[in-house]
Amino acid sequence: MSDELIQIETPFAFNEENQREFDKLIGRYPIKEAAMLPTLHLAQRQAGYITPAVMKYVAEQLEVSVMKVKDVVTFYPMFFEEPVGEYVIRVCHTLPCALRDCKEVLDHLKAKLDTDVASETNLAKGTTADGKFTLMKVECLASCDVAPVIMINDDLYKNLTPEKVDEVLNNL
Amino acid sequence: MVEEKRILYEHLDVPDINTFDVFRQYDGYKGFEKAIAEYQPEEIAKMVLDSGLKGRGGAGFSTGEKWSFVPRDIEPRYLCCNADESEPGTFSNRYVLEKNPHLLIEGILICCYAMGIETTYVYIRGEFTLGKKMLDAAIKEAYEQGYLGEDIRGTGLNVNIYTHPGAGAYICGEETGLIESLEGKRGQPRNKPPFPAVEGVFRKPTVVQNVETLCNLPFIVSNGVEWYTQMGPTYADTRFDPPKPDANTGTKLYCISGDVNEPGVYELELGLTCTELIEVAGGLRGEEVKAVIPGGSSAPILTHYELDTRLDFTSLTLAKSMLGSGGIIVMNETRNIVDCLLNIMKFYAHESCGQCTPCRWGTPWVRDIVQRIADGNGRQSTITRPKFGIAENGRWGDTGETEEIYEDLDLLESVANNIANVDTMTWNTICVFGIAVSWPAVSYMRKFRPEFEAAIRESKLVTLPVAEATVPPEENYAYQQRFVPKEFADL
Repeated sequence: MSDELIQIETPFAFNEENQREFDKLIGRYPIKEAAMLPTLHLAQRQAGYITPAVMKYVAEQLEVSVMKVKDVVTFYPMFFEEPVGEYVIRVCHTLPCALRDCKEVLDHLKAKLDTDVASETNLAKGTTADGKFTLMKVECLASCDVAPVIMINDDLYKNLTPEKVDEVLNNL
Repeated sequence: MVEEKRILYEHLDVPDINTFDVFRQYDGYKGFEKAIAEYQPEEIAKMVLDSGLKGRGGAGFSTGEKWSFVPRDIEPRYLCCNADESEPGTFSNRYVLEKNPHLLIEGILICCYAMGIETTYVYIRGEFTLGKKMLDAAIKEAYEQGYLGEDIRGTGLNVNIYTHPGAGAYICGEETGLIESLEGKRGQPRNKPPFPAVEGVFRKPTVVQNVETLCNLPFIVSNGVEWYTQMGPTYADTRFDPPKPDANTGTKLYCISGDVNEPGVYELELGLTCTELIEVAGGLRGEEVKAVIPGGSSAPILTHYELDTRLDFTSLTLAKSMLGSGGIIVMNETRNIVDCLLNIMKFYAHESCGQCTPCRWGTPWVRDIVQRIADGNGRQSTITRPKFGIAENGRWGDTGETEEIYEDLDLLESVANNIANVDTMTWNTICVFGIAVSWPAVSYMRKFRPEFEAAIRESKLVTLPVAEATVPPEENYAYQQRFVPKEFADL
């Protein structure tokens, strides 16, 4: 990633609250680089997704190369390099949920939101036209007893049926 | 019917148990107070070793033994609590974190006291936002009450706990992957040795323990080793002469999901059978058990012939499977095993970290083969070849019969065994992810071969009745090796 590319983006910096949070984080580890994941989470919450400018800023803060940040961002599925909807809907589709008909829930969401399922390299595919929702499949969410489950942003919804999905979406 | 034996989960449903005051009312932090008042750190480590506590995260390694590898003369030492619960079918840690986080803090304190550790990182799954929030709140309270921080309860003990969020990678549940991730890198596991106990996070000695393991510690200290060792079976390890006791002590948080009437977490003494567990979980949803996954999706599958297998570390290992994280998934007669394998193989193909070539290329390859079979495009050679087996003379050789070749099934087994060989238990990868892929792939295929063959033959998924779909034990190579352990007391 060259510097010219980065300059096209709007520069990124932590707001006051996140800066305070970041200062707290950095004191927890003997090396700054170790604060990478929590810092990226913080930055993603502020910026919406990880832009090159965010990576550059995080790299400066943690005193590592931009490449190293990129390295980490591309490894973890929870970091987005493209814009996502206001609500990110994660549908679990691993075996215990599959045994309890998660496909029905997913198909219903697809029809209702009129969108495809996002892939890791193409988040736009699963984002609704109004930019409100991003629909994606994820691996086990560790709630197999209340399967099928979905996560909308930070909240978990359990024992879903298509009717319950409607209810959940209406209450957002 | 087997009774639930709630120890870790005893107060889980008490309202507001997540707050310090309520936790104290239910004997919270008493184990830790007893530890610092009555025992030296070495005595605690000895107690844990004697208790026979095995790590609950998956490998089932003796906790006391692991602690004994940590060099006491290198400072600082770290504790990493593994709360990256991602194994499909496992969900017991989530409830501890969300409902009773102080119990985990107490466990951490005891471990820190025993090992002289000042800094603990709780690596918590990125998706566990509620769990992290609850744990953070509990940690804050514990600091305020003087149970964390500097000079705890006037003993001169300093302990700090920090939570560290993951970001959705399954492999970070592997201990060295977790350490790499904690250091701010891609979560790609390290070569072992050196083991984390010697060189772990920040290249310092590190104890890595699962949430459930740590939660056992307060009870071992409060109630004593003798109380703890009474629970669960102790087998005879006959590899030694005279045989050594092989303890499977304590309770386990069995997470049961799939086709049962009341899925959930059941805390039971180790050593009950599959059938008993299904009964505890409200019985089977459906007519007949087709298959049971005994320890998270990585574990080799058990057929209906194997439901008498006891669910503990030793018995399952000898049954050529594993207890793993205790995530039990039950499947009834309506399930298609090819379809189930496809689901699991998609999971592993997605979660392979990409570090070792056999795994990076092998996992998508295995997935594609299973996908092909499920789509009805499985490859079947038209030629027949001599069938090898036990011949008339009683020796291995040409049986005089011929068999049709299911090319894709041979290929599936070959590719899976080249990631990690399930028969020799050797893996061509750095971490045990390799074996976690080939174990299900090969065991499903060998134990439910008729269903795979039918899918290839008829070019579509065919769900056979349970009896037809399962390979009888006497014909199943992996099953023949099954061995039921003897109890130590019986010798």
